[in-house]
Amino acid sequence: MTYWAVNAVFLAIVAVVGLLALITARVRGRAARASSSAAAVTRRRHERLLGVGIAVGVLLVMTAVFDNVMIGIGLVGYDAARISGVFVGIAPLEDFAYAVAALVLLPSVWVLLGGPKAPRAPQAPRVTTATKEARS
Amino acid sequence: MGFVYLAALLVSLFGMVMLDRRFALFFWRDVPRAAVTLLVGVVFFLIWDVIGIDLGIFFRGETSFMTGVLIATELPLEEVFFLTLLCYLTMNLLAGARLIAAVVLDRRTDEATS
Repeated sequence: MTYWAVNAVFLAIVAVVGLLALITARVRGRAARASSSAAAVTRRRHERLLGVGIAVGVLLVMTAVFDNVMIGIGLVGYDAARISGVFVGIAPLEDFAYAVAALVLLPSVWVLLGGPKAPRAPQAPRVTTATKEARS
Repeated sequence: MGFVYLAALLVSLFGMVMLDRRFALFFWRDVPRAAVTLLVGVVFFLIWDVIGIDLGIFFRGETSFMTGVLIATELPLEEVFFLTLLCYLTMNLLAGARLIAAVVLDRRTDEATS
């Protein structure tokens, strides 16, 4: 099995988790989108897109730099027969699958772990005691 | 026995924690949620590593920069810290870049209105 074949399996798992997170976020965001103005929704989308763009760019550049250093000083070696032979410097292109997977998997898990957006719980009891006191 | 690589990873991780604390990026947003996310990420990448090593795709280099402590065949102790750093960095980056994006867009709107 080649490095790309292994990556394909893991990237497929990541893609499924990513898709689940996208659907979840979409369903959860429905109420927020309905209650806010079109300008606010557009603004949030632009913010998200630009943010993701910056993060992806920075992580890929950092991967290129540090992977080259790590291979250069001999922390890791590869079987030449199992890699495609496409390199970024001396780093096999396949190594970038880790960075791509991290960029999709981790925020997806974060989204899936979050419950539906609800008003903050701790504030509710304080309000009720205040109103009770005011009534008495 | 070399501690250079492990020390570099620990220093970088410390930097991640400081950035997280300063800008409330990951653990400082939600501790249990961040802990589970990080754990899922590290375990996922460790499995990926083990399979890659098992198939003979990559292997630990013979170097004096590593402690030589192995947690599995050809899997150095340092890899756990490296993967933790990769995951922490990814989440800090995504949250931090979002903050930067907000500032950039604010500035652009200010310029357009002034």
